[in-house]
Amino acid sequence: MIARRSRVRRLVYVIGGALLLTRPLAAQPDPAAAVLTRAMDAENQGRPREAIAAYREAIARGAVIPGVLGLERAFSLVAQEDSVLPALDTLVARFPREAALRNAQLRALVAVGRATEAHRAFDAWRVVDPESIDPYRDYARVLLFNGRMASADTVLGEAVRRLGSTRGMLLEVAQLRAGLGRWTEAASAWREVMQAESYYEMAAFYSMQPTPVALRDSVREWWGVATAPLGARQALAQLEVAWGAPRRGWELLAALPVRDTTVAIWEQFAQEVERVEAWGVLTEVVVAIQRARPSSAQALRAARIATRAGADTLALRLAREAQQGPVDERRVAEAVPVELETLARLGRAAEAERVLAAASKSLGPEGTRRQARTIAMAWIRAGDVDRARRAVREAPLEDADAVRGWLALYDGEIGTARTALRQADAPDPPRIEVLALLTRTTATQSRTIGAAYLALARGDSTRAERAFEQVATELPEVASLALLSAARLQAARGESAGAAERWALIVAQYGSTPEAAEALLEWGRLARRTGDRAAARARFEQLILTHPTSALVPQARRELDGLAMEERR
Amino acid sequence: MTVMRQSLRAVRLALAVVSSVAALGGVVTPLAAQHLLLPMDAVQANHLKAYGVTFSALREGVRSEWLLNYRGGAFLLPDVPSLRRAALLAGVTVEPMDAAAVRALRGEMTEGNMDAVPLEKAPRIAVYTPPDAPPWDDAVTLALTYAGIPYDAIWDDAVLDTDLSKYDWIHLHHEDFTGQQHKLAAVYRDAPWFVRSRERDLAMARRFGHADIPALKKAVADRLAAFVSRGGFLFAMCGSTETLELALAGRDVDIAGVAADGSPVDPAADGKMDWTRAMAFAGATLEMAPGVNAMSDIDGHQVNVPLRRQPLGTFALFGFSAKFDPVASMLVQNHRTVLRDYFGVTTSFTRNRLKPGVTILAEEAGAPWVKYVHGSFGRGSWTYLGGHDPEDPQHAVGAPPTDLALHPNSPGYRLILNNVLFPAAKQKPLKT
Repeated sequence: MIARRSRVRRLVYVIGGALLLTRPLAAQPDPAAAVLTRAMDAENQGRPREAIAAYREAIARGAVIPGVLGLERAFSLVAQEDSVLPALDTLVARFPREAALRNAQLRALVAVGRATEAHRAFDAWRVVDPESIDPYRDYARVLLFNGRMASADTVLGEAVRRLGSTRGMLLEVAQLRAGLGRWTEAASAWREVMQAESYYEMAAFYSMQPTPVALRDSVREWWGVATAPLGARQALAQLEVAWGAPRRGWELLAALPVRDTTVAIWEQFAQEVERVEAWGVLTEVVVAIQRARPSSAQALRAARIATRAGADTLALRLAREAQQGPVDERRVAEAVPVELETLARLGRAAEAERVLAAASKSLGPEGTRRQARTIAMAWIRAGDVDRARRAVREAPLEDADAVRGWLALYDGEIGTARTALRQADAPDPPRIEVLALLTRTTATQSRTIGAAYLALARGDSTRAERAFEQVATELPEVASLALLSAARLQAARGESAGAAERWALIVAQYGSTPEAAEALLEWGRLARRTGDRAAARARFEQLILTHPTSALVPQARRELDGLAMEERR
Repeated sequence: MTVMRQSLRAVRLALAVVSSVAALGGVVTPLAAQHLLLPMDAVQANHLKAYGVTFSALREGVRSEWLLNYRGGAFLLPDVPSLRRAALLAGVTVEPMDAAAVRALRGEMTEGNMDAVPLEKAPRIAVYTPPDAPPWDDAVTLALTYAGIPYDAIWDDAVLDTDLSKYDWIHLHHEDFTGQQHKLAAVYRDAPWFVRSRERDLAMARRFGHADIPALKKAVADRLAAFVSRGGFLFAMCGSTETLELALAGRDVDIAGVAADGSPVDPAADGKMDWTRAMAFAGATLEMAPGVNAMSDIDGHQVNVPLRRQPLGTFALFGFSAKFDPVASMLVQNHRTVLRDYFGVTTSFTRNRLKPGVTILAEEAGAPWVKYVHGSFGRGSWTYLGGHDPEDPQHAVGAPPTDLALHPNSPGYRLILNNVLFPAAKQKPLKT
């Protein structure tokens, strides 16, 4: 009830405000204006009784419409919505063609549930103004607002019968159809609304958001085609985001011709996509904006988003784009950290050092020192421990810093590494991979694990593979993962037979571990490549049946589909 | 060797675990239920393979039920380990149900426009397709292969030489039964694939004593119509729908152009067509111009005739009474009611060319054409679906094949698979 009153009040404010600005019944004498001001003050200061008295006085002094609307609001505040009706009865009799009064009367009657009287009031209005669409539109709107869909449908049907069309009530028709769950017809009606007035795209969006999955294609058909108004395509793009398909939404907008309106639409769409954290799509949107309206600030924003999407090469290019043009130290200070971060992620440490040296003037001593950690991380990625240590010599690290964790790992201090890497918060796939191994053991030291990852960082896969094999012997609790890591390296080098031996070992001895799922998948793929379809099928099926919750199950199913196609051929 | 033995032991152990603890879609249910519901609404992870699982149940002799209009046309199967395994392998969502839940479900179904149709036996399926056609060349073979539904591939020689009554259901590849190879000679005359297919068909025509390809294809069309009239089920898509009808009605008329049989179309062909021989259409006008890439005015979209080409819209499936009209209901079971249209050599069927009594299953609102039709012929029935590939709306010759793994919930492909299971739903008529 309170929510409904609040909705009514909002509606009354909106309509009242609009009427005050656009539809004065008559020029207001000054005394009435003073009384109105007093009434509004009382209303705003929470003295509704005083406001009611003042609004009555304002009406008596000629400020009829603002007075009635104020009276309606004030009575609503004291939960006496029906008390405005006697005043309205008198005023409607005096001004029978005044739509604002008729509308207020209908609103009040419907709100208090006096449906028969409301319909009678509607009939009386139609008699006074038989050619006007106003009675139908306003009554339908009031009914829609109060959730009386079926009654609103009847009123609109009546309008068609009496006036020949609902052309002047497109908005009401669209709302009604959506409210009644006639989604295909609603999509068509909303398209007409947006054809006439494109700014209704948000209303259309909210109205059509509950469209059931089974009928969404009809919305797409009405709103997504090239002949649909721009507002409709924009609304559909936002619906696609809400329906969990942001890429589909972007496809609708990406092909729009580049102009200011388009860029504004892309900006709005980017906000929606950012809200659902679809970083990949968001990257495409902001890159398109940058291409359409290049600027350093936009390039930097795009670089940051691309970093979140894991598109490091693109992020690097954008970070450099952000620094183009006349030298601007503030801009450099903002863009260089992003550039360094992407270089570090790409393991291009020497280049990162050069960039930092060149930007040290813009960054200042403290800024440069802060970037030392990023440089260290770049050297870590490159497997150069000494340079990583040198880079952070002047920049003390916190215990939980990932740099400390990686350095400890390479030293074989896996207890320290586990603590530091676990607490680091930046998204970093290699760190997650290392943690997957470290968290399976309680050992605090293992030079072999350190050596394995160091060799990996240095690109020495043979040494890394041997080290992982040794880890499997030294620490049985991580054996399956260590063996899988060794097998991955062998497979990457094309040593299929050796990798297959390890996969077989993992499946046989560590069949219940997550690594067995990957071993089965890779082992099955090898069998498929070598033409042994029966063996391939058996392994893919074993993966699905024994590891039904594995993230690799969809891949196994896809392999089975491929096998079926090959066999059929 | 030891490793291999250990590996096999691990596999056996794993399978034992799976069969005793039914793990389905990540939900582990320690005790077997009495039934498995395969929901076919938005909950289903893989609609297309759900048909395959149901089909495999029928092949095992397990009686199943098709719950028309219930959750998108769900399937109710007995809870047996082999079906759980098949569902898990295929990634099909299943919901175990005990007797009380099934009772409640049946109660709900009696209240509304729903009905349970028993599925009795797996239909024997043949697809009329050229011997060298890969499965992805045709939407039906693609759907059947993806869903894991076995079929025999048959071609002209099998149609003319063998007893088709061993099949319950025949699907027609997008063949041109007027023998004009869809009038593609003008564009692809020298393309290797076109030359190969023409030579192959000519050799086949000579083998069966026919002078040319049109004569061969008319004979094949006759045999297919006879299969239907004796109680078979025929499903056709794309150009095979329209051309089969033209071949039947034009059996004794020269309806093929010079490029196909060396003589022009009989100028009075329209008046000589015997539409009583056709199954779905009547009164169509032939397209006689050799340079116009259309067969007749049966197709509403005329995709290959630039000045006549109609744009694609959407088509809506009709809702039928499950209790009083189960056949039509089965054919339109879907989790979507409005589908995007897609082109084919024959995309749609002009409404005013349909014979009286033809059931319209789907249409584009306000358009002069329909998309999906069904009817009876003799003791059998036929279903025509316009268009080539529901997931490739603009399909062109040489376009890459559709990967159904990317469309496991395709509502368009569901229409095809509805037709595959449809013959399982009633007693097989006697065919003599």
